[in-house]
Amino acid sequence: MSKIMKLEEGVNLIEDGMTIAIGGNVLHRSPMAFLREIVRQGKKGLRVVKTAGGHDVDLLCAGGCVSVVDAGFISYETEYGLASHYRKAVQDGLVKSNEHACYTVISALRAAKAGVSFMPVKGIINSDLVKVNDYFKVISDPFTGEDITVVRAIEPDVAIIHVQECDEKGNGIIRGPVYDDELIALSSKRIILTTEKIINRPYLTTSPKEVTIPGFLVSGVIPARKGASPCSCPTLYDIDKNVLKSFLSGTEKDKDKTLSEYLARYERADRYGGRQRF
Amino acid sequence: MRDMKGPTGMEGGRGFKMINQSSIHPADLMVCTMARLIEDGETVFQGVASQLPLVAMKLAKATHAKNATLLNIPGGVNPAGTVLSEYSSAGWELWDRSEAVFPLEKVFDLSMRGKLDAAFLSGVQFDRHGNVNASVIGDYHRPKVRLPGGAGSAVLIPTVKKAIIWRTKHDRRTFVEKVDFVTTRGNIYKIVTPICMFGYRNGMLYLEAVSPYSSIDEVIANTGFEIKTHQGKPEVMSLPTREEMRTLRQIDPKGIRYKEFG
Repeated sequence: MSKIMKLEEGVNLIEDGMTIAIGGNVLHRSPMAFLREIVRQGKKGLRVVKTAGGHDVDLLCAGGCVSVVDAGFISYETEYGLASHYRKAVQDGLVKSNEHACYTVISALRAAKAGVSFMPVKGIINSDLVKVNDYFKVISDPFTGEDITVVRAIEPDVAIIHVQECDEKGNGIIRGPVYDDELIALSSKRIILTTEKIINRPYLTTSPKEVTIPGFLVSGVIPARKGASPCSCPTLYDIDKNVLKSFLSGTEKDKDKTLSEYLARYERADRYGGRQRF
Repeated sequence: MRDMKGPTGMEGGRGFKMINQSSIHPADLMVCTMARLIEDGETVFQGVASQLPLVAMKLAKATHAKNATLLNIPGGVNPAGTVLSEYSSAGWELWDRSEAVFPLEKVFDLSMRGKLDAAFLSGVQFDRHGNVNASVIGDYHRPKVRLPGGAGSAVLIPTVKKAIIWRTKHDRRTFVEKVDFVTTRGNIYKIVTPICMFGYRNGMLYLEAVSPYSSIDEVIANTGFEIKTHQGKPEVMSLPTREEMRTLRQIDPKGIRYKEFG
């Protein structure tokens, strides 16, 4: 049975207030086409989970879609600087920033993946993040009696991951770095893949080992050529510097205009770009 | 506080200006200093927004630490590619042409079980006790400034054998009397800045070495806490050698190591 769906249908599955985990890392292989459609459809109150995010989380904050961010790092790295929309939304009290170490996001997802409610984590006990956040607790290790920090499980409602290749059943192949995408897939209730290319029956044409995300867990497959742009998609394209620069150069006064221009420039490609192949 | 004379007799000199006028940029001095902190055979990690560590690790491996194992976020073990990204230290060029795949998740696990030798990390504020802030300026829940966050710092600094911190700004807003928030504390190996290197002993930072283009007075003037030394005068940081500079230009011909200096 084919799981291929339109972008608008896929985004319809996202309900206000859901917890979404976003694939990729900083400016690499983010599912941008899907996130832009979330902004176009005006979703609200999302809780966003990612180890290290950049333009993806910043865009959702610019669109007013987010209430909580659970992450270890949110920035465009050195060249493009700080995630100004995320930063302002947190400073204005519109978005709650649940700061993690990247590893405590990983541990919280590992707990969900294994169906348990928490995971012990070393090292974080030295951090005041443990004092000010209710998702960390210090407990006594039942075997050694020593203090150990545990992090509460995070089970995302939906994992959204952009892949280079996928079949219609949802067997997704990631070329280049996988980052934490296999983990977020295995810890989430549902998985939606956006893909550069639909391929036929990967189990016959390639080694099954190449499949990163097993299709039987996937709910929807959305064709999305250049679906990570303006972020990079390894083996296919690098970042679009001009788009990132113009997105970040908008002043506070004309930020609505900057955002709507940004969304408009991609709308046709996002909604129809991947379709002509079918 | 000791009565200290500058290591080069240039106390109170305009260190930054002098560096910029000479052929050795502070980034070159920092990268070489950071590279020398890596010993041959060590397993070393570098994370996001980490151009200086990325270049320093490649320099170490190309010079004195040929048997070092270099790790990164995308998971390429000893990536052999020659092209460095100008905007990211977590991209696929650090995965391409590598020996094996060992991604972030596994690097963290390695550190947790005490097997990661060194990691390069940073922050925005540091105090004399070795507290590191990469989280917020102001109150955590209603910050004046929301910073990017510590990424791996809060679990790596306490667990890695050598937590090497670099920061390209050395001023009183960076080296403060008391950090606004403790993202992590303790277990610092060194802090490298454009004008000096701090060591860490008995829970306190001390001035270990000063740039030959700077002076103790300049470090004091730009540090918000009282400077201590350990066993007498601090050393003078060694300038990059001719071989290091030549190798640096090969490794990083586009000069990504200068990006953080704006």
